[in-house]
Amino acid sequence: MKFNKKDDGSYELDVTGYVCPHPQLYTLKSLDKMKDGMILDVLIDNPSSVESVTQACNGKGYTILETHSPKAGVTAIKIQK
Amino acid sequence: MAEAKKERNKIYAVCVVGFLFILSLLYIQASSVYVYIVAYLWFGFLYGVLQQYGRFCFASAWRDLIMVKVPRMFVGIMIGLMTLSIISAWLFIKYPTFYHPSPIGPHELIGGLIFGLGMVFAGGCATGSLYKTGEGNMISLTVLLSLSFAQAIFVTMPFFDPMMDALHLTGPNAVAAATPDTWHWPQFVLSTEIFGIQEGSHASFIQNLIANSFLNTILIAGILMIGVYVIVVRKGFLSRRKAEMVKSADGSEVKTGFSDDVAGFISMISSSKRTTIAAVLLGIVAAIQVFTMSWMRDKYEFGHPQGDSAAILEQTGNFGQIFGMNPDGSSLTANPQNANNRPSSWPAADPGEAAQPKKNQQGQQIAGTGATMFDPGYWYITTQEAMFAGWIIDGVLPVDLKTPHYNTDSSLPAKIQEQLPPDQDVNGNRYFGGYNALPKPWHSPALLLSFGLILGASFLALWNREFKWKFPTRELFFYAVLGGTIMGIGSRIALGCNIGAFYTRAAFGSPGGWLFFIGMGVGAYISARFVNYMANRKMADMDFDIEL
Repeated sequence: MKFNKKDDGSYELDVTGYVCPHPQLYTLKSLDKMKDGMILDVLIDNPSSVESVTQACNGKGYTILETHSPKAGVTAIKIQK
Repeated sequence: MAEAKKERNKIYAVCVVGFLFILSLLYIQASSVYVYIVAYLWFGFLYGVLQQYGRFCFASAWRDLIMVKVPRMFVGIMIGLMTLSIISAWLFIKYPTFYHPSPIGPHELIGGLIFGLGMVFAGGCATGSLYKTGEGNMISLTVLLSLSFAQAIFVTMPFFDPMMDALHLTGPNAVAAATPDTWHWPQFVLSTEIFGIQEGSHASFIQNLIANSFLNTILIAGILMIGVYVIVVRKGFLSRRKAEMVKSADGSEVKTGFSDDVAGFISMISSSKRTTIAAVLLGIVAAIQVFTMSWMRDKYEFGHPQGDSAAILEQTGNFGQIFGMNPDGSSLTANPQNANNRPSSWPAADPGEAAQPKKNQQGQQIAGTGATMFDPGYWYITTQEAMFAGWIIDGVLPVDLKTPHYNTDSSLPAKIQEQLPPDQDVNGNRYFGGYNALPKPWHSPALLLSFGLILGASFLALWNREFKWKFPTRELFFYAVLGGTIMGIGSRIALGCNIGAFYTRAAFGSPGGWLFFIGMGVGAYISARFVNYMANRKMADMDFDIEL
């Protein structure tokens, strides 16, 4: 797992290689540490976690700005808190 | 370049289907009657496709609800259950004996609790781990292997039988079939119990609909969904809805009411369309499988054994019945007219077993023993994987795992002890052997369903570019082995996993399925707390560099 600062107010979390429940858990814990308005780019290679992260963000009122697949089996989700 | 990779993935996906077709043709070429196990293979394929599409894993029902407040899977399972239970009201009329209810008792609660503990560590339930293996996830394969071998080893431990006896589960499946009173807990489906249906008679469609579908499934599932909405979803939904209403109210006061709660409930159900769609389709496919397998049993007359062993064999799964044996040692043949359709190599559990039927202490042959096959006839997971591990231990690995002496089990009546196989190897174990001897993997219908499920998930994951080889790190290997092992122990105690002990039981009118589900929730809560604690520790060591 890697958590990096990309820019002011913008961070990146790489949870590739992990399986449930770790990707969704680390994503939400990272967002908990961030301020409202900050952006988090998450990289996940566990399809069911992508679904859970999306649902959890919707439930918390975070905005999913973009979802795309940079390579086979990997999903990148851009979330604004 | 990206397009070329996409095309290559789709070619691999088509190859998976091509492989299944070739495999099916090889079976059918060996004998047309093998279409029965080919059907299992393709139903497994459909389950795999739908589970991968819906990200359908029973572990996340409780785990994601507890850990990240996501109800999608919990709701999905309830919708799938309702679908299957409604159709089953008709299936019970068409094929009244397709479902043999398991004993309803505390073992389901205890087994469910242990299973729930394991599934959070493992990152998936028994069937979820199968579909994730199909996505190239070798961590899930590690879970599956741990689950399979843990079951096979666990049931051979010297403490296992006393423990099961303490849970008043005395009475092996096969023996229970001959003498139902050896199960200490009641076995019934709700419709026959509530409406007092006598043995030999069957509940009507309306009776099944009221008791099995409505009371045992829809009512409970509905209450649970409302509970999840009120406890987990409502506050956040109404808060967001109120904020939207304030924006458009031009300063006037806004209030939320019942209609907003209805909207919130509907929003909860429809929030993950793919999970909800998969849930409904899984329920429908599960019902079609029951219909298909029952229809084929009739067609090939698997379900009509002759001779004194009929009463026993009727309860033990039908697939192997044509190779069952009469007490006089002669082959049990359902209908001579169909004999030509059957290959001489029909999958008796093991030719050696079939050739040398087991005998009791008096040297009398035990009807059916060693020559029948585990054949649930509906969606079932884990028992076949326990059998697979048992087969490897028994026939491949140089390990001599002994099982208890059932024929000297003093807790059983003397009359029953005489009937029990004296074998001590895993073939004689009542939890996956006994009358249903260990099948060769390629002849095990239920194992072919599991295999098909992996391939179905592979097909869709490849087609949608979601397939990715993923190998365990030391940390994930530890969680996978721990979780798989604990799930294996739980599923043997409960006599099934999240499918056999919960899903089908709850959908087919057996209230005990809900005991397993409640146990799963308690177990998931405990292990979720542990995983959460470990995640917090791990994150505390990381430099987040966030200016707060």
